[in-house]
Amino acid sequence: MRRVQIAAGFFLLLIAGFLLLPLFTSNTSFAFYLMLWIIMASAMNICVGFTGYLPFGYVVFYGVGAYATGICYKVLGLPILPSLLIAGLAGVAFAMILAPTLRLKGVYFGIVSLALATIVRLIIANLPSDLTGGSMGLILASSNNPTLSYYSMALVLIVTLACVLWLSVSSLGKALKAIRDDDGAAACVGINVPRTRLKAWLLAAVFPALAGGIEAWHTNVVDPEYAFHVLVTAKSIVYAMAGGFGTILGPVVGAMALLGIDHLIWQKFPLINLLLLGLVIVLLMLFLPRGIVGGLLHRYPQLRRYIA
Amino acid sequence: MQDLVLQGIVNGLILGAIYGLIGVGLNVIFGVLRVVNFAHGEFLVLGAYLALMLAQYAGLSPFWALPITFLVFCLIGYLLYFVLIPRLSKSNDPETSSLLLMFGVSIMLGAIMLLLFDADARSLEYEIEPVFLMLGNIILPTIRLITLAISIVIVALVAWLLYGTLTGKALRAIIMNRDAVRIVGIKTERLAAVAFALGIGLAGVTGVLTAMVFPSFSPFMGNDYTLIGFVVIVLGGLGNPVGALVGALLYAVTEQVASVFFNPSIGTICGFVLMVATIFVRPNGLFGKQVMR
Repeated sequence: MRRVQIAAGFFLLLIAGFLLLPLFTSNTSFAFYLMLWIIMASAMNICVGFTGYLPFGYVVFYGVGAYATGICYKVLGLPILPSLLIAGLAGVAFAMILAPTLRLKGVYFGIVSLALATIVRLIIANLPSDLTGGSMGLILASSNNPTLSYYSMALVLIVTLACVLWLSVSSLGKALKAIRDDDGAAACVGINVPRTRLKAWLLAAVFPALAGGIEAWHTNVVDPEYAFHVLVTAKSIVYAMAGGFGTILGPVVGAMALLGIDHLIWQKFPLINLLLLGLVIVLLMLFLPRGIVGGLLHRYPQLRRYIA
Repeated sequence: MQDLVLQGIVNGLILGAIYGLIGVGLNVIFGVLRVVNFAHGEFLVLGAYLALMLAQYAGLSPFWALPITFLVFCLIGYLLYFVLIPRLSKSNDPETSSLLLMFGVSIMLGAIMLLLFDADARSLEYEIEPVFLMLGNIILPTIRLITLAISIVIVALVAWLLYGTLTGKALRAIIMNRDAVRIVGIKTERLAAVAFALGIGLAGVTGVLTAMVFPSFSPFMGNDYTLIGFVVIVLGGLGNPVGALVGALLYAVTEQVASVFFNPSIGTICGFVLMVATIFVRPNGLFGKQVMR
């Protein structure tokens, strides 16, 4: 399994870079968000690349994680780390609630997922404001600890990447790919299709919930607009797609490339940032539908031995 | 109490006609091209802005803007088809790819509108006397009745196009079975472009109508309309124009009756829950057939 070793080596270098960065500079904001989006894109890849489901309401896990953290910390008065654990559990619990949607296929699944995310956003907006902070959101100022939240995000990143690597070599990952390619055939060879799908779905939910919670901690605020914003879903999909769904390195490469471009453009031309995000999606879909890594592998199949 | 329910039902039927138009436009595109037009709502809002421009610079009333918007958007749709869609068919999973592609278009259009027209909410100006009609205790804003009538006319025209003309017959044939249509020698590419043009044209017209019914519009509203459109067609069955209308009426009545009793966002929740519940009972919507591949 040379290609998995190469991917693991790349991930180790990347993580070492993230861990060492705060020693050299205090401006870690970009690195923090890079970690966040690598997590989001890789977790999205677990869902799309390994199972073929495109969850358009993916942001719901991120938002639930952010709100669970905020409510546990602010309203229930728990310390921040247990609050984050509860956020992760809330993500899993939510994924369990939404699990019946896995019966649906293709566009139906995507739209129902989007509708459910909207329902959750509206329900949270209608909850009493001493619980959710209403339209002001929740402010977690007293927990402020940029260094610790940075390293927590790094920890989640490590677990996410380890999980993706494990999926690519484990029997669960192989079963998932078999289901994605042909669920009927997979069932015939004795794979329990609904159970296997559910496992991937839960894995894909826990990481964005944790990331949402840590982001809320890092920025000290749970923003009701942003926590359920469709752009969070959009960026997760786009970064993963830009690298290539179904590859291990793809979402990481895609998030690094696009977030880097995004960062440069954002500094120079804040207004056309959104326009360019849209343009990048359109151009990718038209000219590089398999993404950077996926397209490379499609053109030069011999690289498959080295690139996972 | 009874009046409230009746008022909700009446509001729902009127809005249902407009949601139905959103759904029909989406379904014509999805049914014929298998393209999930996620940018539909943005085209709607763009139509409203075109009507606003026509009113500001040419002094045209929104009623004149309707046919002009339709023609302009048909042309845009026809041209856009050749830029966007043919490459998609090469992809492994055209439906999902089209969803993502049109999602990109939707973000672009939203950003372009934001750059051109700023973030302020705008509204269309028109004068109609009387402003309200009363039917017992039920309030009927005149403009809503007029838009209802216009919606019915548009639906009738689309129905005539789909069910009364040879082009429409070919379009419906593509919806039923693409491969068989190719075998009997119908040029699907040209027809697909026509369908896309029709769908985008319908989006433009519907946009003008929504700008007349709802108090204001802004570049950010496209997503909401897209979502309503999808809820409606998933409820009724993807690709089925009649299903879109029925789904729209059911959704709008649910939403409006719930809004009368609670608040608009609870109304939206109820409408969406109705859709999700329906999908679990009938995974292909009310009028959907088993997806043919």
